[in-house]
Amino acid sequence: MSAEVATSLGVTEKFGTLWHKYKGENHETALLLLILALLGVIAIVEPSALNMTFVGDIIRSGIVTLAMALGLLLVIISGGMDVSFPAIAIFSGYATITLMNSRGIDGAIWPFLVAAFIGLLLGSLNALFVARYRMETLIASLGTQVIIRGVLLAFIGSVYISTLPSQLDAIGGTSIMRLGNSPVNVLVVPVIVLAFLLSWMLKHTMFGRSIYAVGGDRESARRVGIRVPSVQVRIYLLAGLLAGFAGMVHVVLSRHASPFELVGTELNVIAAVVIGGALDSGGRGSVKGTIYGVVLISLVQNSLVRLGISSYWHILVVGLVVLVGVAIQAQAASREAKATRILESTEVAS
Amino acid sequence: MKNEPQVDSANGGSDTVAGALSVVRRNGNTFGLLALAVSVALIFSLINPAVYASGLNVKSIALSIPEVGLMALAVSVAMTVAGIDLSIVAVANLSAIFIAWYSRVGIEQGQSSAMVTAVALVGGISIGAICGLINGFVIAKLKVAPILTTLATMQIFMGIAIALTRGEAAYGVTEPLANFGYDSFLGIPLVFWLFTVVVLVVWAVMIKTKFGLRSTMMGASRMTAEYSGITYPWVIMRAYVLAGMISAAAGVILVARTASASADYGSSYVLLAITIAVLGGANPFGGRVAIIGAALAAIVLQLIASGLNMMGVSTYVYQIVQGLILVGVFVVAFERKRIHDAVSLKRNRAKSNEQPFIEAKELEETHA
Amino acid sequence: MYALQARGITKTYGGVKALTRVDLDVRAGEVLCLAGANGSGKSTLIKIISGVETADNGRIDIGGEVVGTPSVADSIKHGVQVIYQDMSLFPNLTVAENIAMSARVKNRSRVVRKKDARALAESVVQRLDLRLDLDEKVENISVADRQLVAICRALALEVKVLFMDEPTTALTWREIDSLKGVVDQLKLDGVGIVFVSHKTEEVFMMSDRITVLRNGEVVKSGESSSFTPQTLVEALLGYLPSDDRQLSSRSTDATVPSLEVSGIGRDGIFDDVSFHVGQGEIVGLTGLLGSGRSEIAEAIFGKLPIDTGEIRVAGEPHEIRSVVDGIDAGIAYVPEDRLTQGVILEQSIESNIVAASLDKVSNFGGVVDRKAVSAAARSVIRDFGIKTDDATNPVKSLSGGNQQRVVLGKWMSTDPKVLILNGPTVGVDAGSKAVILDILRATAEQGAGILMISDDVPELASVCHRVLFVRRGRLDGELDINEVSQERIRERLAQ
Repeated sequence: MSAEVATSLGVTEKFGTLWHKYKGENHETALLLLILALLGVIAIVEPSALNMTFVGDIIRSGIVTLAMALGLLLVIISGGMDVSFPAIAIFSGYATITLMNSRGIDGAIWPFLVAAFIGLLLGSLNALFVARYRMETLIASLGTQVIIRGVLLAFIGSVYISTLPSQLDAIGGTSIMRLGNSPVNVLVVPVIVLAFLLSWMLKHTMFGRSIYAVGGDRESARRVGIRVPSVQVRIYLLAGLLAGFAGMVHVVLSRHASPFELVGTELNVIAAVVIGGALDSGGRGSVKGTIYGVVLISLVQNSLVRLGISSYWHILVVGLVVLVGVAIQAQAASREAKATRILESTEVAS
Repeated sequence: MKNEPQVDSANGGSDTVAGALSVVRRNGNTFGLLALAVSVALIFSLINPAVYASGLNVKSIALSIPEVGLMALAVSVAMTVAGIDLSIVAVANLSAIFIAWYSRVGIEQGQSSAMVTAVALVGGISIGAICGLINGFVIAKLKVAPILTTLATMQIFMGIAIALTRGEAAYGVTEPLANFGYDSFLGIPLVFWLFTVVVLVVWAVMIKTKFGLRSTMMGASRMTAEYSGITYPWVIMRAYVLAGMISAAAGVILVARTASASADYGSSYVLLAITIAVLGGANPFGGRVAIIGAALAAIVLQLIASGLNMMGVSTYVYQIVQGLILVGVFVVAFERKRIHDAVSLKRNRAKSNEQPFIEAKELEETHA
Repeated sequence: MYALQARGITKTYGGVKALTRVDLDVRAGEVLCLAGANGSGKSTLIKIISGVETADNGRIDIGGEVVGTPSVADSIKHGVQVIYQDMSLFPNLTVAENIAMSARVKNRSRVVRKKDARALAESVVQRLDLRLDLDEKVENISVADRQLVAICRALALEVKVLFMDEPTTALTWREIDSLKGVVDQLKLDGVGIVFVSHKTEEVFMMSDRITVLRNGEVVKSGESSSFTPQTLVEALLGYLPSDDRQLSSRSTDATVPSLEVSGIGRDGIFDDVSFHVGQGEIVGLTGLLGSGRSEIAEAIFGKLPIDTGEIRVAGEPHEIRSVVDGIDAGIAYVPEDRLTQGVILEQSIESNIVAASLDKVSNFGGVVDRKAVSAAARSVIRDFGIKTDDATNPVKSLSGGNQQRVVLGKWMSTDPKVLILNGPTVGVDAGSKAVILDILRATAEQGAGILMISDDVPELASVCHRVLFVRRGRLDGELDINEVSQERIRERLAQ
């Protein structure tokens, strides 16, 4: 903002300038305030709910959502949509466990790597349809979702595996600290590390900036020399890898493997990413915002029981919260998309 | 005003042939689907004529088409306006739950079964319309993308259904409604007749009314449509209300056939409906009306489902087949275009090579 | 020494020959103007040279090296930079990042830093002596600033051949001067520059040599000194447009004006605009790209509603808050971009013609009367001379000129009192152009008031009774019926 304009501002304008400066790239501050407001509401209605166990539960249920949201974030920034990530996640996790059980092998670290690799392979399916066949991303991911799920249930297995290989099971029981009655599992660490890595990648690598460029204007990206299909392929491979990892995290945390889980959680993860500021039109979004979005969703989900709302209402309430959150973001975006200024501000006019 | 003579159209008897060919070309999609349906039926009949081509199986196929076919119709309408509707199953369930509940309650209260049926049906369809109105409002006025909107409303409508039923199934049906679900007319189940009627009505609406024309234009080019005085909210609200009502009709059939309704029924139908709509010719980017195509595609898909079932193929494999069909439609279209472009590129190259090529001539400099 | 040579470039799009055996010679240290009207193929030629499109035939040599048919990466590697007409910027990224983007891609950087981008951007901006807010997102800056950002981006790299596609459409004289200084420096550095334009004054001002493209073919090429303004225009159009003005006749009674706007304004866009258009009068509205001229027109129509002021149609005040309001008030608007705002390509000619007047051809229940639609389409096709044998063909089967007639027909079917047109003959062949202008004169004679936005100076002079000028969101003077001439219009625009 030029110095001349700032001279004769009233109180509202001053606040507006401050807001503009601190609201964050994608209204992250607004989101933070919203989270604090919700906590405030809970404090008033049911103060006993606010304890460390609550925080621990939020973290616990948020880890898997965050792990899946990170991959989805990349897709959404590039202007696409993906509903296949839960299928990739559970396929990767379940297939790895099945593999381990059938061979009688055990491990702690490498299963995660294997699951991530399987996820990467599955992600290549999305990459194929989007980058080579130029399919609309939503329809492509609807197709791959059902294919992946079908292959999982038809050819890998549809059995509920109630015990994991011992080392993995041990990780599921390992916590780095306790918040109240809720243990914080050690897997929080790799997920947070991944979040940091992804954030760095988005801000400081050419690949990351290319994702924003492609999401901002695909044709311009092409003209500037960015190889758009190559960027898209890498996005979907990376998203698949992250989903695969997330699937393994879910399996280990829940101490069992069921091929019917995770599918159906698309809405929560998509909502977390969108509410976190990554609009479906592409070109925007951040890891920080996504984390806030995940916290918000997780917060709402975990507070329902504590607020004494019967379980029959949970799905409805979460759906409403998601709708409201997404609508607020959409409104904010449409208000910001103002027409380009032509008039000089009157203070500057000669 | 300048009056320029119009180009005369072709004359003579070749008109009828040309006319017929142009009809086939224009409705290529429909003919293609018909051919596909016939082929699928033939193939499965050849595999096991005794079972597949039996009267019982044909009736069973005919009974299974209307529900999912109607939902595919709803998706197709949403796609015409460049949107999508994932809440179709949730809306159908909600309507069905109301109809089942009111059927039971109304009869218990001693009202006539005709009265109860009427109220239940009107209420059920109205619920579909209201759900559609909500979808339309959020998309058009709150400016949330259709995918996000209907993903959320799918959960909200299901959440309402769960809250109302406490997670249990709702039971109840009136005699007229049950008869409707069971009886046939001229050998064809009444529910299939209803399906056909709805298809024709929706087709007429999309092709012959102001709304239909405006929807197609809005879906094809939102900007041009808006510059022409067509407003997005006007079109979207009506389109999603229509989709909602069609979904509710699917709910009616559901109750008529099973005398029950539950909040979590048919979750796999969403993808199947989208697959059918896409196979039927709907363009997810908007602008195309593919109602008849969706109906035919529904028949094709159910023929396939019945055949696979007959062959003992698991439902999971059937899911894979659905996914492959969904992406297959686009892969085929892409490859066709690629081949077409490559051929015309070759042709253009050849043409420009035919003419004598003057190599690197010095450009004539003109002097003042 | 040739910086770039193109030989025998041919390209066909779906049956239409966009370019036919085009040769281009760009010399190092020289400015070549690639002159051509809209639709002449110049944009296609640039896209082929820059690698965004591939030619059917022909080859390209850059700096003596045979590149053949370049990809985007190839041409960038060889030092070709293009400043596109639509600027091709990233609205969601900052000015600094936009400027640095080309350099980053070329240098194949893996890791990037905000500071580096900013430093690079700052150095370019300073070198060009410009004032830009480097940290602002491009979507928030003015059109003129965007054009400057596009120019900076191209110059952030070591460029050997620079293509500038209509880069000055939004710039003021001061900025154009600045640009000329940059171009002079680049010439000294041995850069070959191709300046694409259809504006004859700029062509002569900037270029050493001129190559004229018409209908996809090179029709004339040579030193700038070998052209006169007349021969240039004649080469561009294929004919010499008459200097005469051909005005429609108006009844001389002081009747109520068709359109009267008083003090209209829209926050941040334009302010305090007042003028009137008399019955049967054709008033021109012109100014630089981004001056607000289109916005004013769209505000009157209702697409971009006004915040202050009053609009009167045929003497009646109207509250116009939407396009529907505008149409109801009797206003019609032929938009700037025919393909994305004027027609729906896949829909039939019929449907396009009735798109804005559906209420007139449908009955109470909302059912459309097919016979009425066919009749409406037939009369438009006849009256406007649209070349087609079947009104149910899709509009994309028509040429640009015929498509524009469909748009006109669509709007005339609403029986408007006020007809606003934005660039009505852009991308239209010469024949259609004359027909369209005749249609406008005839429409005016029938009593409608016409407001025409255009930057085609001969067109303005030929058909407008008066011409209004817009500068930075405000009206900046007028030429009345006796003052209008091509020279005077150019003078005013150049100030």
